[in-house]
Amino acid sequence: MTVIEAERLTYTYPAGEKPAFRDVNLKIEEGEFVIITGPSGCGKTTLCRCFNGLIPHFYGGKLEGEIRVCGLNVKEHPTYEIAQRVGMVFQNPENQLFALSVEKDVAFGLENLGVPREEIRKRIDWALKITGTYNLKNRPPYELSGGQQQRVAIASVLAMNPDVMVLDEPTSFLDPAGAEKIFEVIERLNREMSMTIILVEHRLDLVSRYADRIIVMHDGRIVMNGDPREVLASEKTRLIGVGIPKATMLYKLLKHRGINLNRPPLYSEEACQVIKEFLSR
Amino acid sequence: MSVFDGFKFRSISSPIHQLDPRAKFIYVCVLFTVAVMFNNIIPLLILFLIQLPIVFMAKVQREWMRSMKGSAVFAIMIFAVNLLSLYFYAGHETFTSILERSLAMTIRFIVLVQSFSIFFLTTSPDTLGLALEQSGIPYELCFAFTTAVRFVPVLAEEAQTIIDAQKARGLEIESGNFLRRIRNYIPILIPLIVNAIRRSLELAETMESRAWGACKNRTNLYVLKIKTNDLLLILFSLLLLTVSIYVSINVYIPSLTSLLI
Repeated sequence: MTVIEAERLTYTYPAGEKPAFRDVNLKIEEGEFVIITGPSGCGKTTLCRCFNGLIPHFYGGKLEGEIRVCGLNVKEHPTYEIAQRVGMVFQNPENQLFALSVEKDVAFGLENLGVPREEIRKRIDWALKITGTYNLKNRPPYELSGGQQQRVAIASVLAMNPDVMVLDEPTSFLDPAGAEKIFEVIERLNREMSMTIILVEHRLDLVSRYADRIIVMHDGRIVMNGDPREVLASEKTRLIGVGIPKATMLYKLLKHRGINLNRPPLYSEEACQVIKEFLSR
Repeated sequence: MSVFDGFKFRSISSPIHQLDPRAKFIYVCVLFTVAVMFNNIIPLLILFLIQLPIVFMAKVQREWMRSMKGSAVFAIMIFAVNLLSLYFYAGHETFTSILERSLAMTIRFIVLVQSFSIFFLTTSPDTLGLALEQSGIPYELCFAFTTAVRFVPVLAEEAQTIIDAQKARGLEIESGNFLRRIRNYIPILIPLIVNAIRRSLELAETMESRAWGACKNRTNLYVLKIKTNDLLLILFSLLLLTVSIYVSINVYIPSLTSLLI
């Protein structure tokens, strides 16, 4: 089943002179793990805002073309309706938690939906356990580290039990260790609950191994869209300025010198494997 | 540590902390009314003493001391102003009675500060917001209130970062006369305000993404219930009010000096 379907989508912010992105055609299937990457200002974040209706309902501006999310036409359904299907996690962990305790924050979305109290409690515990933050339940959010805050933010979206989770650079405020924990949680959601994941990310070194597909955006357009190995090994992707994983980079350098490995690896363990295979050939 | 720590909620578990904010609010209101009703020293002194056991039950002696120390300057000012104005304008009274009246006014002020301090020290903003909500105040306003409280430490930290950054660029905050000092704060206020606006936009985005406004009857995870202790406090407050009204009408209150001599 297709969960997100965009056709010739073009959007201009109210104050914008030229479109933030144009002519975007995109299909995302249920259960897919998709990474969207590209240099800053290429329109990734703006595109994400369309997935749960923040664009056009919250931002205004001009949205042309068609976009359907979980069968709902984004232009016709308000954000709170789409938000039940599409969970959104943002960049800055600090500005996503606004209650005085973690528990209350995770409850927020469910309270808004009018879910009965007992059910809310159950879902809070469930979401906190999956994200590994159950022990933080009664702490005030401002006392937590960035990584913990971001995992609580994921829990608070998860508690609403969406079909799709959109994460907009969730690790850009975090250190590598914190980032890795976030990716583990995301990967778990995808693998164990077959939740559709759309992740905007620069740290491809850490995360591209989990992806089914990588989309590269540049100057408001989708320029590459396909298998992670193909996309990352392509010369075009490197020239745009995407941070190619070092393992893939090694593959390319070796290829340049006439050494052809079996396939482009995405992380160091895989690179070892591929090199071993090559040597024992 | 500043005076404001004498009013800032600290999460401790005590019988006073567990009281319903509405009950505590009634108590504070009664205390206010009674304190304003009397201007003799003895009843005000009694009001002051009644609250001491509460401070100890709530285990907030240190914070309470801080609020008391913080209000000392104002207390002295109030005492001095009262003393001077009574001395020059109320010519018929003896000096001891003037002294006693000024002292009474000072204690009244201290009682007011004290009850405020106890209320805010022992009431978490979360339950206070909840109490507002359950008193029929629109949810949007209650939400704005708790969120504002939640972001006070964040903004304070941000202000410190901006101050450090501007100092590193050569801004001198502590120099010059009064007006100059106010002007020194402009390069700190502008980035702080701009950041706060940006932050509020991001918050709004998050709220939208979590189905803000999805249904009219939103649930609330917590519910406040009036318990036995709350009823006792309300009862005590009402008793205090009735007794005070009776005393202020029917009983002659002797001055402290007449009792001592």
